[in-house]
Amino acid sequence: MWKRIVKWQRELDPEQSGVLRDPCLATDAPAGYRRLVAKTLADFSVIERQELYRFLLNYHGRDLWLALARLSATCCVVGVLVKLALFPEKSWLQILVAANGIGLAMAMSIVAVWFNYSKTARFKYRVLLKVAVVGMFIGFVSALGTTLLRGDSWQALFDILPKIMLGAPVAMIVLIAAPTIAVAVLRSRHYDILTVRLAQEAEQARLARELSETQLRLLRAQIEPHFLFNTLGAVQQLAEQGAPRAAELTAHLIDFLRASMSDMRCEQVSLATEFGLVESYLAVMQIRMGERLRFRIDLPTSLAATRIPSMLVLTLAENAIKHGIEPSLRGGDITITAQEDADRIRIAVHDSGVGMSDTPGNGTGLENVRSRLRLTYGESASLALSEAEPGLLAELLIPRKDAQ
Amino acid sequence: MTVTILVAEDEPLMRERLLGMLALAWPDAQVVAAVDNGLDAWDAYLEHAPRVVFLDIRMPGLSGLEVAERIGRQAHVVFVTAYDQYAVDAFDAGAVDYLLKPIQPGRLDKALARLREKLDSQPMDVSAVVRQVKAASPAPAREQLKWLKASVGKQIRLIDVEEVLFFQADTKYTRVVLEGSEALVRIPLKDLLGGLDADRFWQIHRGTVVKVTAIRAAERIDAERMQVLLRGSSEVLPVSRSFTHLFRE
Repeated sequence: MWKRIVKWQRELDPEQSGVLRDPCLATDAPAGYRRLVAKTLADFSVIERQELYRFLLNYHGRDLWLALARLSATCCVVGVLVKLALFPEKSWLQILVAANGIGLAMAMSIVAVWFNYSKTARFKYRVLLKVAVVGMFIGFVSALGTTLLRGDSWQALFDILPKIMLGAPVAMIVLIAAPTIAVAVLRSRHYDILTVRLAQEAEQARLARELSETQLRLLRAQIEPHFLFNTLGAVQQLAEQGAPRAAELTAHLIDFLRASMSDMRCEQVSLATEFGLVESYLAVMQIRMGERLRFRIDLPTSLAATRIPSMLVLTLAENAIKHGIEPSLRGGDITITAQEDADRIRIAVHDSGVGMSDTPGNGTGLENVRSRLRLTYGESASLALSEAEPGLLAELLIPRKDAQ
Repeated sequence: MTVTILVAEDEPLMRERLLGMLALAWPDAQVVAAVDNGLDAWDAYLEHAPRVVFLDIRMPGLSGLEVAERIGRQAHVVFVTAYDQYAVDAFDAGAVDYLLKPIQPGRLDKALARLREKLDSQPMDVSAVVRQVKAASPAPAREQLKWLKASVGKQIRLIDVEEVLFFQADTKYTRVVLEGSEALVRIPLKDLLGGLDADRFWQIHRGTVVKVTAIRAAERIDAERMQVLLRGSSEVLPVSRSFTHLFRE
């Protein structure tokens, strides 16, 4: 008998801890109560399963029996005290058995609820009701049993029945249901806080990852080989012609490269810096494209120190060149302005090029701008594109208090 | 016979650079046209029928790839690009000539030496490689022309492109012929070309584009010349030599 119990325990233990680690294993358990237990375990939440698994690791084999022995010793001590203080007329055996029974029931229900608190906390009143009903039933059965054993009259049973059937549920509620539910509610509150914190941490990690990804894309986008090679070719050509504009173009290119390389490392720059960068970019493009490009940049001095995420206006200016002016047979004008009103700053990039229809593949640049706006301002900033007979208007709206 | 060259490059300094270097490296060749966009490149090609064509890949109007596709195997094409890694790989694989910008003298000399060897043979057909490159790159989904505005007296008439039988160049304007009527549009024909679906509207002459479904028959006049007969119009349209291949069986 003892060997069978030991064997059963040896089999059950790894099976349950296996399910706790991987709930999919539940279906592998042998049919019957073992599968039922396994499925119940599999239904636990992730955190509940993890905690139960850790508990089983700590209390298994000898440690479990030691813990039970400690519990029993505590119950005996409490039972002795209770007998001396309250029920001196009861026998020692009665008191010790009752104390151990109640103590074990309390411990088991608390352990059970400790690892499965979310359901208990959700259905508090149902649990309360169940415990009361079970209490009544136990009271009834034990009263009936006592009467039959002692051979008392039915009249005596009816005399004590109301007392027992009220007393047993109250005792069960006080001794078992109340501590159990209290534990469940506390644990569940702790669990909710933990869940919220985990979600927050995941969101922060996601934002950080998105930020570094956009920065990487930014780096990749800025070092545009087409831009670099074509500009160097223009410099070389002007230099070979001995044209003074060679030095001028080189100066603009140097300004552009220096500014973009330092800006790429900053999350935010002043509008004056950003517009300076855009101006050197457009000056380079103007020398390269000749009559096909004209541009105007207008930044009010009151906005010069306003800070915005770096490279945003430049991306819009590059889009205007790439998708507006370059595909246009006759070229066009680019106008970049910044204005402020009560609560917002409006940066407008207008090009008189081919407009929306002929703009393939400008998705990544704009997607980049949008995700950086979102990362910096949440939902309170926006980028809007509209047809602007002729050409395209890109409007950046940024909240003022955040921007300053 | 002097070798004729067409240069198409949208940036003026790069164009000057290529022209200057060509003048030095190939003094006996003649540059018949230097243009800054794809539509002008195609038009100049039709006008001059050059032997060699230098085409920048990124150009307004039509891309260099699109112009090369239209030219087919009628001229030796050399692509020019600053950086289109995929295209360059495809050109290498398909033995298509190309130059990298900024063009360096040594590289140009090599390319010209290769070109001179091939000049006497028929130009290779680059369209397979071009189609491959176009399929891989986010090619400009050029907007198709749907409506044309033509002024008739004080009125502006809207013309559905689908109803047009053929377009005919008329200096700076384009004559648009429909069944039973016609109108004059204030856009040169070469600028309309980019908006017309090349599969449904065939160019049969430098100055004529005809809707394929409006062609009743094409007939041979002599060994070199052909003409097109239409449905819905009694006009007869000449086919120039560059386009007779469209009607070859």
